[in-house]
Amino acid sequence: MTLTIGLLLGLSFFASLLALAFLIWAVNNRQLTITQHDAYTIFTEGEAGHPDDATTEGSQDEGGAARAHHFDTERAGIDAISRPAVVTLISSGIAWLAIGSIFGLIASLKLHWPDWLVGEAWLTFGRVRTLHLNMVIYGWLSMTGIGVAMWVAPRIFHTALRYPKLPIIGAILWNVGVAAGAIAIASGWNDGQEWLEIPWQIDILIAIAGSFFVLPLLATAARRHVKHIYVTGWYYIAALCWFPILFFIANIPYIYSGVQEATVNWWFAHNVLGLWLTPLGVGAAYYFIPKIIGKPIYSYSLSLLGFWALALFYSQVGIHHLIGGPVPTWVVTLSIVHSVMMFVPVIAVAINHHVTVARNLWALKASVPLRFISLGAVMYTLASFQGSIEALRSVNSVTHFTQYTVAHAHLGAYGFVSFVMFGAVYHMLPRITGRSWPWPSMIPAHFWLVVVGFAIYFIGLTIGGVLQGFAMLDVARPFSDSVQVVLPYLEIRSLGGAVMVVGHLIFAAHFLAALIQRDAQAPAAQPHDTRSAVST
Amino acid sequence: MNRMVPLAILALAILAFATLMLVIAPAIQIRSEAPTPGLKPYTAQQLRGRTQYVAQGCIYCHSQQPRSIDQAPDAERGWGRASVASDYAYDRPHLLGTMRTGPDLFNVGARLPSRGWHLTHLYQPRAIFGWSIMPAYPYLFERKEHAEPGDVVIILPADRAPKKGVIVAKREALDLVAYLQSLDHTFPAPTRAVRDDGYAEKGEPR
Amino acid sequence: MESFEPYEEFKPIPLPVLIIAVALALWGVFTLLDNGKAVTVGRAERSDQIADQHANRQNGAELFVSRCATCHQPNGSGVEGAIPPLASSPFLKASPEVAMHILLNGIDGPIRVGDATFEGHMPSFASVLSDADIVRLVTHVRGTFADRHDLLTEGDVATARLLAGRRGAWQGGQEIAARLDASLGPQPPMSSATQAAIDPIAQKLVSQGNGQTWACASCHGMRGQGSASVPRLAGLPAAYIAKQLGDYVTGKRRNETMQLVARTLKPQDMRRIGDYYSVMRAPSNARASLGGDLVRGERLVLDGDWARGLPSCVSCHGPSTFGVAPSFPALSAQHPEYTAAQLTAWVSGTRDNSTGRLMNGIAARLNDADRRAVADYLATLPPVPAPATRGRTNGK
Repeated sequence: MTLTIGLLLGLSFFASLLALAFLIWAVNNRQLTITQHDAYTIFTEGEAGHPDDATTEGSQDEGGAARAHHFDTERAGIDAISRPAVVTLISSGIAWLAIGSIFGLIASLKLHWPDWLVGEAWLTFGRVRTLHLNMVIYGWLSMTGIGVAMWVAPRIFHTALRYPKLPIIGAILWNVGVAAGAIAIASGWNDGQEWLEIPWQIDILIAIAGSFFVLPLLATAARRHVKHIYVTGWYYIAALCWFPILFFIANIPYIYSGVQEATVNWWFAHNVLGLWLTPLGVGAAYYFIPKIIGKPIYSYSLSLLGFWALALFYSQVGIHHLIGGPVPTWVVTLSIVHSVMMFVPVIAVAINHHVTVARNLWALKASVPLRFISLGAVMYTLASFQGSIEALRSVNSVTHFTQYTVAHAHLGAYGFVSFVMFGAVYHMLPRITGRSWPWPSMIPAHFWLVVVGFAIYFIGLTIGGVLQGFAMLDVARPFSDSVQVVLPYLEIRSLGGAVMVVGHLIFAAHFLAALIQRDAQAPAAQPHDTRSAVST
Repeated sequence: MNRMVPLAILALAILAFATLMLVIAPAIQIRSEAPTPGLKPYTAQQLRGRTQYVAQGCIYCHSQQPRSIDQAPDAERGWGRASVASDYAYDRPHLLGTMRTGPDLFNVGARLPSRGWHLTHLYQPRAIFGWSIMPAYPYLFERKEHAEPGDVVIILPADRAPKKGVIVAKREALDLVAYLQSLDHTFPAPTRAVRDDGYAEKGEPR
Repeated sequence: MESFEPYEEFKPIPLPVLIIAVALALWGVFTLLDNGKAVTVGRAERSDQIADQHANRQNGAELFVSRCATCHQPNGSGVEGAIPPLASSPFLKASPEVAMHILLNGIDGPIRVGDATFEGHMPSFASVLSDADIVRLVTHVRGTFADRHDLLTEGDVATARLLAGRRGAWQGGQEIAARLDASLGPQPPMSSATQAAIDPIAQKLVSQGNGQTWACASCHGMRGQGSASVPRLAGLPAAYIAKQLGDYVTGKRRNETMQLVARTLKPQDMRRIGDYYSVMRAPSNARASLGGDLVRGERLVLDGDWARGLPSCVSCHGPSTFGVAPSFPALSAQHPEYTAAQLTAWVSGTRDNSTGRLMNGIAARLNDADRRAVADYLATLPPVPAPATRGRTNGK
């Protein structure tokens, strides 16, 4: 058995390395027919070189929105088709963000006020915390991420969204599914595994809803009006293929048990981040950063390396959640090695994102959405580097089982994906409604609240987690030390979290105001020629 | 990167490969292990208690996977020897956990065997540990004027006891404690057992 | 507007990225190659643990030296007036089952060997010796001291072991002669003076509690044997137990649960509980479980390590670490998690109540490996036999 496993293990890693080497060779020898020119796919003729942003102070004047739209005449037609689906998805997502982050704050407070709200079963820490996770992952991030994809995909494919009604039905079903899942969790009915708490019976509904998102997006990609698939499209197509399979396999009832189930659990849970939220976030950043700046990304060949290396390595990192646990040594080692190899795609993506922004720093000043998105991209780099280091056995001994991991998870899911989504929404909504944001000063307010709040959250909890880990490893200190040492940092986390929640409520209110404003007045920017955009 | 179908197929192939390595291969290896000698299946009451453990979300603060003494002093804290895959043969769903806001519970039945202690602790952890941040679970208990036959009255220090009447455990609490008491893995692990030996001290085995 | 920057049509992958990729790949290959070795070491550690629990690596003579010679002397002469000799003992000349049953159950009562009568206080070795160990030891001892060579099988030991847990120590030679082998000749009767009177008040406190706190037995077990970090209490000196309970109240010894318990107990309750446990006998359920080095542990327990300023355990806690009343508790058959936790508690200050604060200094000089070695080795020793002073501390 040892020999066969060793062999399998070696083969697996060598297969990944071989694929990586082949990819590098192919890119460097121009075997893949993509060029830097393809990076211009996201621009219409004459648009490249001009910033595209509707939230800058300069563009708040009368001509601002119009000027941005000047370059979007063709797409205005495309945008109009996807508009109802995008608005439904994003408004659902933001509603889940508001509710979900309030539950997060309650859970955080309960950790240092353990006798607060203990009378009702549904308000116990174990349930409130789980409600937070499921609402923000499956409600906020997934729905908003899909909503952004529904808006971006037609633009990069130069054609209108196919089956544009399906996503609306999907969004309704998905909302019902997440709400039913939340009610189930609150009432104590859950499947018992992290990230998979929603009962599998309810998951069936969510899976059906998901197919209503996947189908239109893939159909749109298949019938695109441009030969090349822009890098954002790779991430979206791959994510849309990956997530349904992940979700289905992990939720099959009755066939898993014991430690074997734990490997499925963490294979799934990490891939939700790696093969679902990350592609949604990285894909969006790959579109919005060059789009807002008005210049193509730094190196298109690097983006190929970034994408395929992510697929090869991210898919096998999950078992680093079980380091030192009762699972086979080889599968843990395999996940550790792949976690460390994640440096390769992350560096590739980081060079592309950050060099593009660094060469155009002026744009950060001008555009708050770009600030959100490029800061999100920086946090992707940091979260990934941190994750790779955290997977090393020596580091993991300290950080595993502590609040450090919680801080890390938030750096990825919040600092990276949520920030990119915030920026994307700020960029998109004026183009969807045809109007500027009603309270422009609320956008930087939201930005600074979540940046400061998250900085407090992350730094506090990271320090607390390390202290907690060292206390737990020191046998001379009783277990109570690990609790007492982290307590002040849990309080700091609540403070940071509260500031973040205020930011979210401002964001949600602002978004609502922008929507109501549209309903109050007839949409100003009607598509000029819808037919020409949708004709195939 | 101009064609969608090859892109999708390759992406799916990579995921299939990852699934083979992280799901199927470990499953084959772990499923071939017999339950650790000495491991007993759960009784009906313990299983009901296990459902309570899941429903209350105990897993979010308590792990059930002691680490090896080469990695961490879990064994010295009384949390038990390093667990192995075959210790979990009867666990559905698995409850390994990833946080230790509270201590590991894989051997809580051995190091804290008292039902009465657990009931007090569930009702109000701070009645025992002033520093504890574990939630209190008063909704698993009820206050009665007088205990009826068959009621389990919980013991509380004077400053935590109700002014009138007694606190008795509901069935949920009794089930949960029965499950906790069953967490006793003090039997030895087989030599060839499966676990992450990555921390085993390098050098010659003594 | 910024002017349009000239972009190259094609950029190869930057060299630093390639170098990083190659370096990480090499590290990955190395790490994977190392994987197989870790599994081998892990298995060796588990197999050592199983072996430690059964101590099955010693032959009969080695077992005799490590387990018997401390009391019975290396030449089997015993100690006049205290420990019966093995040489020419009728108990060894009898069928091999007699020696086997004595090893499994221990003796707690008077026996006659030759012309002398001894107050028997032999511990049970059931927890210490495996079936195979007992076969080897009995064969060695009977062959060496009684020139008897008929054999015992492991099956015989396994069958007898099933009963041993239930019946407790032999109540002197008379019971052995009556139950096992009449050829032992006349044996002294069990005197009623050594029969401990069970204190009903203490018994109620231990098994049901006092209504204000949890019963002692709910954690320490009905036989006071404890488990994991809950200590074994059976056979500890009465005064020691009472003192610990008092120290929980004053805070010289800290443990949240025990402090709550002790505060509900009156001083006379504490003494009653101490008396109750001091005469209690229970088979050992402790086993080495911290991965400690038993050879090193044995050396530290029996000889200490004067280079590091460590006295032996036996120098205060008595031969075989059976304890020296009133202040020095028995250490043998104690759970290693508990022993190790106390040794760290002396260092961290959560416990500060040893005689002359001796333990603070000793514990501070033990490193992690030594602490585990000592705790594990003590767990492999037989439980304390009946104390010579039993019954007396009841003050009657």
